[in-house]
Amino acid sequence: MAGSEALVRPTTAPWRNGVVALLVVGTIGLALAAASIERVAAIQNFILVFGSLLVEAIPFILVGAAVSALIEVFVPISAFERLSHLPRPLQLPAAAVAGFAFPVCDCGSVPVARRLASKGLAPGAAITFMLAAPILNPLVIASTIVAYRGRDVLWQMVIGRMVLGLITAIVVGWVIGERTKEELLRPRPSDALVHSHEHDSRMTEFFGHLAADFIFMGRYLVLGAAVAGALQTFLPQSILSSVAGVPILDVVVMMALAAMLSICSESDAFVAASFVQFGFAAQLAFLCFGPMVDMKLGFLYSGTFGTRFFRTVAIVVAAVTLTGTLWVQMIVK
Amino acid sequence: MSTTELPLTLDQAVTEPGPKRFSPARTAVALTVGAWAGLFWFVLLSGRISLYLGTRTNWVVPTGAVILTAAFMGRASSLRVSDPEPIGKRDAISLSVLVLPVVILLALPPAALGSYAVGRRSGVGAAFASTAGAAIPEHGDISMVSVASALANRETMKILVQRAGSVVSFTGFISRQSDEPATEFLLNRFVITCCVADAIDTQVRVANAPPGQFKSDQWVRVTGKVYPLGREVIVDASTVTGIARPSHPYLNP
Repeated sequence: MAGSEALVRPTTAPWRNGVVALLVVGTIGLALAAASIERVAAIQNFILVFGSLLVEAIPFILVGAAVSALIEVFVPISAFERLSHLPRPLQLPAAAVAGFAFPVCDCGSVPVARRLASKGLAPGAAITFMLAAPILNPLVIASTIVAYRGRDVLWQMVIGRMVLGLITAIVVGWVIGERTKEELLRPRPSDALVHSHEHDSRMTEFFGHLAADFIFMGRYLVLGAAVAGALQTFLPQSILSSVAGVPILDVVVMMALAAMLSICSESDAFVAASFVQFGFAAQLAFLCFGPMVDMKLGFLYSGTFGTRFFRTVAIVVAAVTLTGTLWVQMIVK
Repeated sequence: MSTTELPLTLDQAVTEPGPKRFSPARTAVALTVGAWAGLFWFVLLSGRISLYLGTRTNWVVPTGAVILTAAFMGRASSLRVSDPEPIGKRDAISLSVLVLPVVILLALPPAALGSYAVGRRSGVGAAFASTAGAAIPEHGDISMVSVASALANRETMKILVQRAGSVVSFTGFISRQSDEPATEFLLNRFVITCCVADAIDTQVRVANAPPGQFKSDQWVRVTGKVYPLGREVIVDASTVTGIARPSHPYLNP
């Protein structure tokens, strides 16, 4: 751009949109309080599920955003460029195994994967890491062991979940592998909230990126939690339970249920184990599919990587999980 | 929106920083993060953690409050810039989406899952407790979780059968079915592992309750003798007392 080229900066009412937004949100809050809508049982139920998903997931998003900001500000691009020169058959498994060292749930791994890809790590490896971390991290393995303790299928379930999760993450990474980071990452309009012509210190930069990632991921989490809350409120789970024991269909239904419930990967094993009417394969499918594809992740993926990416991930994860669980069940039998 | 456009040259924008002023965009972001920090402190200090999270995950709230406060302070420390960024329409909408849940959770009074959720979640029912290793002791108190465990686990049920007639005291809320006698109701308590989203219902049928005295969703303490009967566990009530909702309305494995 030539130095004399005109730049355009809006100068009137720079605060106006913010003030209007504040007034709208404040008015909604007052209206809700005045209307006592919590008296309607369904709305109360929705708000409880919606609120609890957010209260649990927001800190994890923030931790993910903090790791992402640390990578952006303190890790040189050259480090990732060196990693991207590793042979591809080595990159994806290495990225998946790196999930062991990242004990946060599925929401926290999304901002980190985005940052890894934007800094130069191969997109496939970043996605493999993102999908594997919520299943392979030590907290999730421990919770699966506790949930299935005393069952005949304890180790089959724990090892099956780890191996199938690892394979699924690698397959998705392989499918995504040919895309460039420009094709993978959706541009972020909210970057305007961070970047300026200021010469900020590193700490200011760090907090700028932290806040931007939080704002970016947070809004999709809010939308996803709202959809999950609505489904939990208005769709009786007994509808799904009626297909328990029907081969293949019960596996598909448990995957759908996992996507609908949007439960954190650190607690989903307890819920899966409670579905005693469903067999081993269906429960394993619940445990592998849910941490990779669910309602809140759908919004996070679509916002971060685009809807085409989400479609690809959902299809590949569903196909590998369905095939894998049936195959593992045959081995277990 | 009517905006006047001011032409600046790139050289001016980069080399001639003006006096430092508050940046609307940075301030809006800081306030949004601050709102969430405020919500987490409110949930922590008001004791509402137990309405959303189980004991296994309640550490998330103080941790979140501290990290959000640090993020707020970090962002708030650099609000004054020489080139203030305005708040765009899309940014305002994004920030509103993020602030709205804070307003909703602060505006509405505390609540817990009730009989509406029982109807929606009964499909997974009492099976949960079998996963939590909730054993029934040969002597001593029988908990509601361990009764639920018996419904899903034959070995545990054998112990409960041996202890039929034992006196129990359960706390929960009432749900009613349309075809049941006036002297009966279901006593429910949700078990949560991480958060309300994974809540699973445990329930027993209470018989010989005073008719017409208690409504759905009312919290009661039931004392009586416990009897397993088919796929249900019955409590033959000797006393049913209405109580306020406990500060910890959910059970944890």
